[in-house]
Amino acid sequence: MGLDRRAFLGLVAGGTVGAMFTPIPWKLIDDASIWTQNWPWIPRVPKGQVDYVATTSKLCPAGEGLKIMRVAGNPILAGGNPSHPLSCGGVSALARSEVYMLYSPARIKSPMKRNGKTFAPITWEQALVEMAEKLGAAKGAVASISGDNTGTINEVLTALTAKLGSAGSFMMPSEATTAAKAMKLMGAQGQAGYDFENADTVLVLGADIFETWGTSSRNRKAFGANRPAGAKPANTYVYVGPSRNNTAAVCDQWVPAAAADLGVVALGIAWHLLKAGATSNAPGFDTFKAVVNGGFGPEDVKRATGVAPETLAAIAKALASAKAPLVVTGSPFGQGLGAAPVIAGMSLNMLLGRINKPGGVYMLPELPSVVPGALTRAAMLDGDLPAFLKGVESGKTPAPKALLIYDANPAYGLPEAATMAKALEKIPFKVSFSSFMDETAALCDLVLPNSLPLERYDDVATPYGSGFCVYSLVRPIQKPICDTKTTGDVLLGLARKLSIDLKFDNFQQVIKEKVASLAKVSGGFVAKDVMPWQVAAGKPAPALVGGDLWKALEAGYAWTMVGQAAQTAMGFAAEVVAKAVKAGKPATATVLAPYAQLRTGTPVTGMPCQDLTTVPDTELLGDTTFIRVNSETAKTLGLKKGQMVKLSGAGVDCQAKVHIFESVMPGMVSAPLGFGHTAFDYYSQGKGANYLSLAAVVEEPGSGLSMWIAPEVKIA
Amino acid sequence: MSGQKKEFPITWGMVIDIDKCTGCGACMASCQTENNVEPQREASNKLRATSWMLVYELTNDKAFPNHDIAYLPRPCQQCGNPPCVSVCPVIATDKNEDGGIVSQVYPRCIGCRYCVAACPYHVRYFGWYDPIWPEGMEKTLSPMTSVRPRGVVEKCTFCHHRWTQAKDAARVAGKDPDNLDDGAYVTSCVQNCPSGALAFGDIKNPKHKVHELVKSPYAFRLLERLGTDTQVYYISRREWVRKLGDNYLKSE
Ligand code: SF4
Ligand code: SF4
Repeated sequence: MGLDRRAFLGLVAGGTVGAMFTPIPWKLIDDASIWTQNWPWIPRVPKGQVDYVATTSKLCPAGEGLKIMRVAGNPILAGGNPSHPLSCGGVSALARSEVYMLYSPARIKSPMKRNGKTFAPITWEQALVEMAEKLGAAKGAVASISGDNTGTINEVLTALTAKLGSAGSFMMPSEATTAAKAMKLMGAQGQAGYDFENADTVLVLGADIFETWGTSSRNRKAFGANRPAGAKPANTYVYVGPSRNNTAAVCDQWVPAAAADLGVVALGIAWHLLKAGATSNAPGFDTFKAVVNGGFGPEDVKRATGVAPETLAAIAKALASAKAPLVVTGSPFGQGLGAAPVIAGMSLNMLLGRINKPGGVYMLPELPSVVPGALTRAAMLDGDLPAFLKGVESGKTPAPKALLIYDANPAYGLPEAATMAKALEKIPFKVSFSSFMDETAALCDLVLPNSLPLERYDDVATPYGSGFCVYSLVRPIQKPICDTKTTGDVLLGLARKLSIDLKFDNFQQVIKEKVASLAKVSGGFVAKDVMPWQVAAGKPAPALVGGDLWKALEAGYAWTMVGQAAQTAMGFAAEVVAKAVKAGKPATATVLAPYAQLRTGTPVTGMPCQDLTTVPDTELLGDTTFIRVNSETAKTLGLKKGQMVKLSGAGVDCQAKVHIFESVMPGMVSAPLGFGHTAFDYYSQGKGANYLSLAAVVEEPGSGLSMWIAPEVKIA
Repeated sequence: MSGQKKEFPITWGMVIDIDKCTGCGACMASCQTENNVEPQREASNKLRATSWMLVYELTNDKAFPNHDIAYLPRPCQQCGNPPCVSVCPVIATDKNEDGGIVSQVYPRCIGCRYCVAACPYHVRYFGWYDPIWPEGMEKTLSPMTSVRPRGVVEKCTFCHHRWTQAKDAARVAGKDPDNLDDGAYVTSCVQNCPSGALAFGDIKNPKHKVHELVKSPYAFRLLERLGTDTQVYYISRREWVRKLGDNYLKSE
């Protein structure tokens, strides 16, 4: 066509001036507009029968239940499922992307094998033969990494790894791994679960509970439920952390404190509670008391953290006088926190008598496992992946001969990226079960694409942070779009090839057995008319109508249980606290205070295509990401608004632009995570820098856990 | 500005509780996908990006530690007295009986962008690019909303198609489509906000929650003194937020 739309409209406009008062030009313009807008490459919207099906988000770690709108069988929109306890109708930007990610340009379309620097497609059968051969030869030294905290797939993966001769089964580090370590050191049983729904005063130490920490959608619904618009809120939330992040923005109070000092702040509050007479029968109380009284008085805390004595006293008073106080501890960026701050925070819950109480912390039992030889979740969370890989890199730990990587992207999502990449290079045979071409898949020998959550059977069992045991189903509502398979099926097929008996033929059977096992757990019920937090508050739990459980799960309801793992020896782990929590002097160097957001995806998904628009231009502009410093820090470091700077740490450099943002503590450089991908598609690739790579890993005294909560950086 | 305000028996309105919004952007993502706004690979260039719903970050402009922030989600304000309507040479946009929702007829829009210039809230977006979805992703288009070509102006419609659906559902159920139950018609952003920060309903209908909410002493509207008489209300207990919303100068 020689005439484009603009030129055409120009012609029409030229003729209109004299003809404003007759209706004909209007009609003509109308027609012309229709004609000029009728481009063949503008997609037509689909037609067909509309229906809604339920499933659960697996891309979003908050575990939201979803209602998916389909047209003629194709999924179109993902919305929050109002009947699901972890969603209550809300949905994160990440969970909303489940549908679009089906067609992400980064999807791996078929199994692939490395061929020099590139990959060549192979068939699934060839892939299986190749894997069987290589893993058979690697027997005795096979390791695995999972990035999925909640799926029964981990049972298949760890059971297979064990039968192949495990060199270690690891989970990607997260809040769950840190908390599990803390609970183990305290001698506690079960996974810590936080009952936000029944709490009235919540002290949040570091954790970004309304964004990336735990069951964030549910946390926000619980927060909002008692805060009618414009009226006096019926609950109080106090946030302690290095910046006023998404969580602090709506809390009643923000107390600035470095992430490295969260434990000190907790013990400073404990000092007040002890002074007011708080006591406990739990093992280690006397030592704990001595530790707190010995160095965490108001002045000690002020010197170390800058938190004013009256602020601490007020928080302690608010907690002590609340009906249902709750203390939640976590990392402001979802990883890297040591175990000691979690122990210190949990000690407050113990002093306040909040363990296994409504509005407190429930120690949730693990759901029964079904694959023989599988690791329990607690055992899996016990592995320390950064320490393992650092050991491999330095030669202290023998490199495994083979590595299976499920739903994880360690080459991007771990601190000290350069070290980790070197460690991965030392492992001769690596298989990635990823849906997208991520940084780790790009390093592997075989890439065996997992079907996406909307195309496969999967499940979500009690995400970290949930206040109750919860299980929901992920089910295929559409055929795989590419030549992908459910990794569970692939692993079971591989086991057969290697003559390893894992009891099941396909992954759907595993899930069915899991559901059947839940039907036998006493106290479990389907959350429908009664929600688990109501049961926690005293409402009788409805009976579980046994045979219908699968059907109910398929319909989008969740199985729940208000659980309490019996505690025999939960104590204060005061020795760990004494070694790891020190009220020293404030840091003099510049400290990195990263933050994470769901809209920038996860290391496994990259940035969902629709979510790029939601990122503000104070975070990403063009291809450059911003760091945030307050004006005082900017002055000290000689930085100007909009200036390009180089950040260095852990042997790596990153570029950034400076954004002056006053809600960051002095001396801190707040930096967004989720950017700087070298893999994925054009929505993620080359956008900004990965500031996590600047974080150096150190060993936490007392626990031995790897931590990278407060990395120092240089700015030039 | 038309200077002539029309009153309608049904007046759809949104009430946004700023004290609850955490700025997560789920409303933006919901709106985009509900309304077939294409994923924009150049979205980090905000001058050319389209987002009918946009979350602004507000600040009280004080230095640490007295600094405070708030997030303000901004759909089309659906003015009672819409500045965009009177400037449109082809009547592609109009305010009529339709619940007071300012309509936008894409096939009629000639892309002159007078309305973009006239809107004090920057809710109108000009399509700079052909809407192109990554291969296959066009299968996820919603059948409820048409795809707009490059060169026309688009904006939030209060998910108008959902109202049509709600009315149909009411008719099927033998109920009055002009007197919908509270919650029978809610927009996509309202439905999906994980914070429950947004509420939606007929401001004139005493059975709807928003009817009371708009009367809150903490409620305000954006740039109220322009006289645009918008149908989106904000609520905040923080005075600086309310003042900023009405664009007070620092000296006021
Ligand atoms: S979804 Fe809700 S909390 Fe998130 S930005 Fe929008 S209004 Fe705010
Ligand atoms: S009301 Fe609908 S069109 Fe308007 S911003 Fe919300 S989702 Fe978008």
